[in-house]
Amino acid sequence: MHGKEFTIDLIRTFFTVVTLVNVAILVMGLWFAPDIQFGYEAFEAPLIYGAVGTLPNIVMYSKKELSVKALFVRKVLQFILIEVLVLFAAFYGAEVYWQQPKIIVSVGISIFLIYVVASIIDWIQNYVTAKRMTDELVKFQERVRG
Amino acid sequence: MEIKLLRIAKGQPEQIEIRCHEITEEVREIVTFVKTRQGQLTGVQEGKQYEVPVLDVCYIEAVDNKVFLYTQKQVYETRQKLYELEELLKEKYFLRVSKSLLLNLMKVKSIKPALNGRFLAILQSGEEIIISRKYVQELKNALKGGI
Repeated sequence: MHGKEFTIDLIRTFFTVVTLVNVAILVMGLWFAPDIQFGYEAFEAPLIYGAVGTLPNIVMYSKKELSVKALFVRKVLQFILIEVLVLFAAFYGAEVYWQQPKIIVSVGISIFLIYVVASIIDWIQNYVTAKRMTDELVKFQERVRG
Repeated sequence: MEIKLLRIAKGQPEQIEIRCHEITEEVREIVTFVKTRQGQLTGVQEGKQYEVPVLDVCYIEAVDNKVFLYTQKQVYETRQKLYELEELLKEKYFLRVSKSLLLNLMKVKSIKPALNGRFLAILQSGEEIIISRKYVQELKNALKGGI
């Protein structure tokens, strides 16, 4: 993967994750603390978690074409890093939550769901591209055969 | 090497004759070029030499400094380098889809997504070929008529 492609991927992932973090905060907020009011600073949270969650994408970078096994190993490593970094960013210094494992587990599950949904979105984008290329391929072959 | 061109009558068969002191690599390259232009590649299988029609070749792969021609049922080794074949076979709808592979676009049935931004070319034979993400844009351009 080249640097340019990797950067484009990183930016795309960032915005996908920010959107999904917004959804997760909305759902979890309504569930755990529906009465809490926030100021404008609340808009920072999805951006920060988006950046922290996108950072582990670095483990997917490789100049060489990775084998399926290597890709799988890196995907697992990437997911573990996302969990650790986002949980750290969310709960470091907030001792009050340590007494409420339910909230920590819920955030952990949310991270997993965001990871899965982001991967599905990525796959759908590639599926649409592949379908478009197949249509172009059929037209190309018809053109060549005359 | 002196080059002579001789115009002949329409009824006579066209031919190319190379007169040389020795069959060098350069001479072989010229022969290969002519054969490729005529739609044939020279392949070796179990020590025997075969003329393989370009149209029958599904893909060409470089493995450990050797280059192989893959038809639907047979595999032949060829002396030519992958980059030479890439240049020669551009007009025959062959396109590089990874560092070590040239794909005959006329033998591809469909394209599917694979892991990490890569794609899979499903051949008419059912075989699957990985398209590296580096070459995806070139493939898109080729399919739109840029080959």
